[in-house]
Amino acid sequence: MSEIILRTENVTQRFGGLVAVNDVSFELHKGEIVGIIGPNGAGKTTFFNDITGMYTPTEGKVFFKDTDITGKKPYEITALGMARTFQTIRLFYRMTALENVMVGMHTRTKANLIDCILRTPNHRRTEKEAEKRALEVLELTGLSEHKYDYATSLPYGLQRRLEIARAMATNPEVLLFDEPAAGMNEAETSDLMEFIRQLQGMGYSILLIEHDMRLVMNICERLYVLDHGNLIAQGKPEDIKSNQQVIEAYLGKGGEITDADA
Amino acid sequence: MGNSKLQKFFAPLLNFWAQHSVAVSLVALAVAIAFPLVFNQQYLITVGINCLMFSVLSLSLNLISGYMGITSLGHAAFFGVGAYTAAILSTRLGVNFLGTFLCGTVMAGIFGILLGLPTLRIKGRYLAIVTLGFCEVMRIIELNWMSLTRGPQGISGIPRMELFGFAFSKPIHKYYVVLVLLVLTVLIIWAIMNSRVGRAISAIRDDETASDAMGINVFAYKIMAFSFSAALAGLAGAFYAHYMSFIDPNAFNFDQSILMLSMTIMGGVASIPGSIFGATVLSILPEALRGFSDYRQVIYGMALAIMVVWMPNGLLGGFNLKHIRQRLGVAKLSKKTAKKEGKENV
Amino acid sequence: MFLQQIINGITVGSTYALVTIGFNMVYGVLELTNFAHSSFYMLGAYISLFTMTSLIGRVTPTGFFIGLLVSIIITGFLGALMDKLALEPIRKHNGAPISALLSTVGIQTAINNAILLIFGTVPVAFPDVFELGRFNIGENTVVQNIQVAIFVLAVVLMVGLSLLVYRTKLGSAMRAISQNTTAARVMGVDVNRVITLTFFIGTAVAAISGTLVGIYYQRVDTLMGNAVGLKSFAAAVLGGMGSVPGAMVGGFLIGIAETLYAAYVSSSSKDAIAFVILILILIVRPSGLFGQKSVNKV
Repeated sequence: MSEIILRTENVTQRFGGLVAVNDVSFELHKGEIVGIIGPNGAGKTTFFNDITGMYTPTEGKVFFKDTDITGKKPYEITALGMARTFQTIRLFYRMTALENVMVGMHTRTKANLIDCILRTPNHRRTEKEAEKRALEVLELTGLSEHKYDYATSLPYGLQRRLEIARAMATNPEVLLFDEPAAGMNEAETSDLMEFIRQLQGMGYSILLIEHDMRLVMNICERLYVLDHGNLIAQGKPEDIKSNQQVIEAYLGKGGEITDADA
Repeated sequence: MGNSKLQKFFAPLLNFWAQHSVAVSLVALAVAIAFPLVFNQQYLITVGINCLMFSVLSLSLNLISGYMGITSLGHAAFFGVGAYTAAILSTRLGVNFLGTFLCGTVMAGIFGILLGLPTLRIKGRYLAIVTLGFCEVMRIIELNWMSLTRGPQGISGIPRMELFGFAFSKPIHKYYVVLVLLVLTVLIIWAIMNSRVGRAISAIRDDETASDAMGINVFAYKIMAFSFSAALAGLAGAFYAHYMSFIDPNAFNFDQSILMLSMTIMGGVASIPGSIFGATVLSILPEALRGFSDYRQVIYGMALAIMVVWMPNGLLGGFNLKHIRQRLGVAKLSKKTAKKEGKENV
Repeated sequence: MFLQQIINGITVGSTYALVTIGFNMVYGVLELTNFAHSSFYMLGAYISLFTMTSLIGRVTPTGFFIGLLVSIIITGFLGALMDKLALEPIRKHNGAPISALLSTVGIQTAINNAILLIFGTVPVAFPDVFELGRFNIGENTVVQNIQVAIFVLAVVLMVGLSLLVYRTKLGSAMRAISQNTTAARVMGVDVNRVITLTFFIGTAVAAISGTLVGIYYQRVDTLMGNAVGLKSFAAAVLGGMGSVPGAMVGGFLIGIAETLYAAYVSSSSKDAIAFVILILILIVRPSGLFGQKSVNKV
């Protein structure tokens, strides 16, 4: 198997007496699509926040390509080459789609305050490069015709897409999606699945949290299942589907997971 | 965004403005240059100087309170730091006004960093009260540090501005000095906001968490914008000291901070022409209300309330000329293609 | 000597607390820094005094209570009116919070200057209708009974407002709005009516506070609002914005610290002490003493 690009070692996150994530170790290999699933309140998003630097794990460590990134700030982690989207879309609503993506270029451009005020060659080069690359990303994500629209005026599905475009603009190796299909209808979800596969083709490694079983079972190569903060199973989708413990966690005893379960 | 009725009414005007923004700016500048030559009366020029000076202040405040979305109720404190720095340096050490302008700017910037470092991590709604407190604390220090500021008596006899033997003694000279400062401020704010740094500032206003996740060091940018805004206010303060030749702590109290914020918000959140417009209106309004003598302040207060109720985002808030221009460009392009396709179909 | 200072400090603190609790209740619902609150406080004192001395002309406890009642009703009504005319339209258009703040600044300017026009700059004496007297603790510590009364009334008002916020239907509607306005509306809360009522109650409390402070200092003047207005913000933040009991603690803390500072360090710079404490505490505890620490949810 290819090299490990992102892994955690025994990550635990406590809030006061509450253990939101308990001793979770996981790994993501280069070029893989891995999913983290689990019922509501299983600690998925908390785990995600531990990885992306929003929270600092109470115990355990996070490694990105063998660099210990535990406790690093989100902006530092993004600069290293990981970018995320949010469960509830968080775009820059009073900026255009193009500007949103150009903000994503922040860590890949260098012009500072003085450059900007004096309009130095460095500033001009930066602007040109940023705009060119941002337009490319918008093209890739099929948002070109909306480049001058305010983020807030885009339909829901395109807002999701713009969030992904913005993450891609940070030039990451790993993309992390927090429930990318939330609020999408079936057709939109199918488009999204297709799109995520394309992203894999472009060489990104992808970690996603998802409720939508159809999406997860179809595109993820491996799954990790969380329940009440504990890792209760991991493996290939087909194995997870028939795992008794997972079924119980989701549906109580005697249930069965079908593709249609959300 | 904005007031939709107003937006529809002004749309053609705004489109014209967006397409000819450079020309419109130059015309505005020409008007500003011609004003004291045409209306060569001391009273009118003094009002003009006030408009321009408060434009610098409201623009600099717009950088943090408009573009970045951090409400500051203490901008007058930085204005005061600049003024006191200039007053003390010129009366005690005989520093030329170019030197005092520079020192006033730098000193206010340093105070901005000193206030920002411990407080900019505080949540926004608390931060507003902290800036208010800072303004009060600075005023009380100015009142009590007798040996440095001469307390409530203030500092008088601040020398006028002189350069290579030329004295800026007449109001019209001072008018042009502050006009230069305003042009400089406009250019700087415009340059910042149309750049990588400006995009980061706008992003922070819209969503701090997402900005962080996009690789922006939010705290560092806040400190930078805060101190930069303070520095520009300090520059205006240094000018004020030389222009008035007398300063005392009352000129930098909390009411002044509120006045500056009113100008920024009423004119238009995150808008350069808006800030200038707001400063001009609120500088002229008290003069225009002189006829009402005692009722002046009552009417002024009600006018302020009515204006923000009528236009909650300010007159020009929510209009971005660049975006209008971009969209017009797209519209034109698609019209052309439509025409072409139409012809081909025929 | 020290005990005397503490007692004086508690009294000054009580007056701050009285202004802050009403302010903080409105803040709790709307997250609005209401600059006009201190104006209503001053206005309330003037209306009480004017009603007692001029309208009914009876400088007696009965006259005082009638004056207070009239003041509560008129001031409360004006507060509600301010919300209807100067704040509700901004809410309706989703205006920036800062616009609402500036609107209250405009109202403050208008009220303060209107009072200045009507009553002039000269302080008006507030007759001591109760003649409560005083008592001694030990040798040199004097406590005036009115000081005790102010303290007790501040606590009573605080408890009353807390009960209103935490124990009544109106209170739960207020809390619902403060947590999620849209959800509250969906659940059938008449949002604008509740907010207007909150303003009525908040400004009515301001009128009571102003009157009590007037009778304590035995005078009313046009600057009384300005002096406490800014400090009440500091008290509110110290106690945690929106918390009624917190407002009270914040008020006491500032009152006592200020009095001690004036007595032992310097009286000319005492007005700065409220804000120095505020900035220091916020650096250590960014949500105030009793404010809830919010976890950044993403």
